Amino acid sequence: MPQRAPSAAGALDFAGLVRQHQAMVFSVAWHFLRDHALAEELAQEVFLSLHQHLATLESPEHVQFWLRKVTANRALDVVRRQQRRPMVSLEVVPEPVAATSAGDPMLGETLRKLVATLPEKARMVVILRYQEDLDPTEIAEVLSIPVGTVKSQLQRALALLRAKMSRSHGEKAI
Amino acid sequence: MNLEDELRSALRRREPSPDFTDRVLARVSAAPAPHAARPWVRWVAALAASVLLAAGAVEYRHYQGERAKSQVLLAVRIAGGTLHKAQRKVQMLHTAHRSVS
Repeated sequence: MPQRAPSAAGALDFAGLVRQHQAMVFSVAWHFLRDHALAEELAQEVFLSLHQHLATLESPEHVQFWLRKVTANRALDVVRRQQRRPMVSLEVVPEPVAATSAGDPMLGETLRKLVATLPEKARMVVILRYQEDLDPTEIAEVLSIPVGTVKSQLQRALALLRAKMSRSHGEKAI
Repeated sequence: MNLEDELRSALRRREPSPDFTDRVLARVSAAPAPHAARPWVRWVAALAASVLLAAGAVEYRHYQGERAKSQVLLAVRIAGGTLHKAQRKVQMLHTAHRSVS
């Protein structure tokens, strides 16, 4: 007979972990995939997997690292598998029409759209850097790539975003 | 405006749907228990591995015994053949010696 849910205390702890980390997991997926339903589905899968692996995780920091790593890799897998978002050059993305100022929600949306056009790995690097505030070493550990690669992808992505935004807002703006 | 600050603002965390936690917990309850909650699976796997190892060891020893037996038989056969040849030579020499004397 298959066993079911863990004990009440275990379920409570797990529910606490879900509440604590759901914004992080969902946001990494959402900013990467730009699809609310798909991001929630992916986030749920990540937490189901966490439940399966909880016994192997040694500390709260380990849980957070594991969640970031699994979410990032699964999001990358989703895009690669489904080819939902074919890579689009920043050069062909339409520039925002209206002039925007700092804190303008339009600017935020424009930036999110531009980030979504970055190549997959570079996009994930930018999300982990600016959503999660991770430094290049931490990003390298999460994505299992060299620190030098993280730094170069970050620089290139910022240069591309800056160039695109500058065309809309003028050199002094950014 | 600083691009990095704007990126931090644009990519700030956001919450999923309000019922997200409940849906995760419902799926967890419906899913099979994790491996850690079924220690008997590990015991069965360990027992099966032990039985296989023991059977392998017995079979290997049997194979070694059979191989040693066939080697001994071959050695005896070779030694027998050599002895037979030597015996025939001795008989021939003995016969020749008799006919001379």
